[in-house]
Amino acid sequence: MTDMTQNSSTQISTPSAEGSSFAALKHQFLQIWQVLAALVLIYLVFFVLSEPFRSLDTLLSIFGQASILAILACGTTVVLISGGLDLSVGSIFAVVGVIVGIALAEYQLPVLVAVLIGLLAGAAMGALNGTIQVFTKVPAFIVTLGGLTAYKGIAEILASGRDLSRFPESFQMLGSGYLVPMLIMFGVALLTGLFLTKTRLGNHAFAIGGNEEVARLSGVNVRKSRIYYYMLGGVLAATAAILEVSKLNFAMPARGQSYELFAIAAVVIGGTSLFGGRGGVGKTLIGMLIMQTIIVGLSYLGVGTSVQRIAIGIIIIVAVYWDVWRRPSR
Amino acid sequence: MASQIGEKTILRARGVSKHYGGVVALEAVDLDLREGEVLAVVGDNGAGKSTLIKALTGAIPKTSGTIEMDGQEVQINSPTDAKAAGIETVYQDLALVNELSISKNMFLGREIVRDDILGRLFGTLDFGQMDSEIRALFQKLDIRIADIYREAEAFSGGQRQAVALAKTVMFGKRIAILDEPTAALGVRESKMAMDLVRSLKDHGLSVIMITHNMQHVMNYCDRVMVLRLGRLAAVRDVKDVDGDTLVGLITGATEDKAA
Repeated sequence: MTDMTQNSSTQISTPSAEGSSFAALKHQFLQIWQVLAALVLIYLVFFVLSEPFRSLDTLLSIFGQASILAILACGTTVVLISGGLDLSVGSIFAVVGVIVGIALAEYQLPVLVAVLIGLLAGAAMGALNGTIQVFTKVPAFIVTLGGLTAYKGIAEILASGRDLSRFPESFQMLGSGYLVPMLIMFGVALLTGLFLTKTRLGNHAFAIGGNEEVARLSGVNVRKSRIYYYMLGGVLAATAAILEVSKLNFAMPARGQSYELFAIAAVVIGGTSLFGGRGGVGKTLIGMLIMQTIIVGLSYLGVGTSVQRIAIGIIIIVAVYWDVWRRPSR
Repeated sequence: MASQIGEKTILRARGVSKHYGGVVALEAVDLDLREGEVLAVVGDNGAGKSTLIKALTGAIPKTSGTIEMDGQEVQINSPTDAKAAGIETVYQDLALVNELSISKNMFLGREIVRDDILGRLFGTLDFGQMDSEIRALFQKLDIRIADIYREAEAFSGGQRQAVALAKTVMFGKRIAILDEPTAALGVRESKMAMDLVRSLKDHGLSVIMITHNMQHVMNYCDRVMVLRLGRLAAVRDVKDVDGDTLVGLITGATEDKAA
C-alpha cells in the first residue's frame, strides 16, 4: 500500500471510482427489484383481467397521470429521507397555482417570469416551514399541518373575485398531453436523484434522517440542511402546480387537496423509509406508478373511486408495515 | 511508554462546570493533557465523565470554564469548533449512522468535494478519492472491512468501533477523545480496539479515554483522572497506582491526600 500511495492519485482513484459506482448500482438494484416486481405483477394482473387495459394508450395515461404527482413526490422523498415531514405541499401547490394564474391572467407577465415567480413562491413557503421547525423545535407534523391550512387560506384570499383561466398558448404547452409532463417528471427525478446521491447536501439528508445527533456531532450543519430540503420540497410542489395549471388552463385554490398524502403514499409504497435515512426517487417513481396502475386498472374493471381509495389505503398500511417489519430495531 | 510523553501540556481545561438547572453534573473540573499521552478518565456512573468530554468538545454548552490549547485560550462552542482545533471525538453510541455505508460514515461532515466546476457549483463529491483514502487507511491500520459500501449496521460492534477509531486517525490532528471505546465489545474485539487506541499515539495524537476497565487503564494509559459526583477526585500516574487503589478512589473509600 505504501508503494501505491506514491502513484499519482488519479491512477488509484479511477478504478475504485468505477468500483464504487458499480457497487452502488448493484446495491440500488437489489433494493429496488422488489417494488419493481410488484409494479410489473400488478400491471400484468390488470392486463389479464381487462382487455381495454392492454393498450399502449392506457400505459401512457398511467405515466401521464403519475407525472404531476410524481414531481411533487420527489420533493417529499427528500424531506422524508432527511427525517422530516411536509404536510403542507398540497397547499403550497394551491398557492403557487393561484399566483401563477394571477401573473398570467391578470398581469399578463411573460410565461418565463410567471413560472419563475411560482417557483420562488414555492421555495419561500417550503423554506418558511423548515425555518419555523428548526428554530422553534415544534414537530414537523404540527408546523406543516399549520402550513396546510394557512397556505390554503392564502390561496383562497389571493384567488377570491378573480377569473384565473385562459392562459397564453405557450404556457398551455407545458402540461398538455402526456409527453411533456412525463419528460419533465423524468428530468426532475433524475436531477433529484443526482442531488441525493452525488452532492454533499444530498448525502447529508441520509445522515440527518438516519441519526440527527451523529450528523450534528460529525459537523453537519443540520439546521441549514433541513431548511434546504423543505425548500426543495416547495420548489417541486411549485413545479407540479405550474404543470397542472397549464394542463387544466385554469387555476383555483381547491387544487392540490390531499396531494401531500398521495405523495407520501407513493414514497412509502416505493420503499423509502418513513423514519428517515433510507430511500430514493427511483423508488418513489415506481411507487407512484404502482398507485396509478391500480387506480387506472380498477376503473377499467368498473370499480368506483371510493373502492379505489380503500385499496390505496390498504396498500399504504401494508407498505409501512413492510418498512417496520424489515427493521425490527426501530 | 512514558519516555514518549513530552512535558508539554497540549490541552489545559480549568474550572469546567455543567449545571442543568439546579442539578450539578460537573463542578470546577481541571484537566491537563500532556503531549503524546493516553489519559484515562474513570469514575462511577453519573460521575460526570461523559459530561466532561461533551463540554470539552462543544457537544453541549458548558456553564463555565476555560480551555487552552498550547497555552492559548480557545473557544470551543460546537463540535465543528473542536474539529477545527484538531480534536476528534468518538462518542459512545453516537459514532456512526447505521443507515450510511462505512465509506460515507468515514467522511461524514468532511466529504471531499470534486475539484471541478460541478464540485464548486453543486458540491458534488469525489467518491473515488475518498474511497481510496479509506482503503489505504484501513490497510495501514489492519482493519478488515470487506465491503465499505455496506451499511454500518451490518457490522459487528468491534468493526464499528474500529471504523470510528480510524476516523480519529484520519481527521484528528492533535487530540483524540474516546468515550468508552470498548463498551459492549467482547474480549477479542476489546483488545483489537485497544491496540488501535495505542496506535493513535503512534500517529501523533494525544488521547483522553473514558473507561470502566481498570485493566485497560493499567495496560494502555499513562495517567488517570478520577471523577466522583461531578468533581475531580484524583489524578495519578498509572505507574504509581494499582487497581484496588483506583477502585477506592472511584467509590470514595480512599480519599486522595494530594487533592
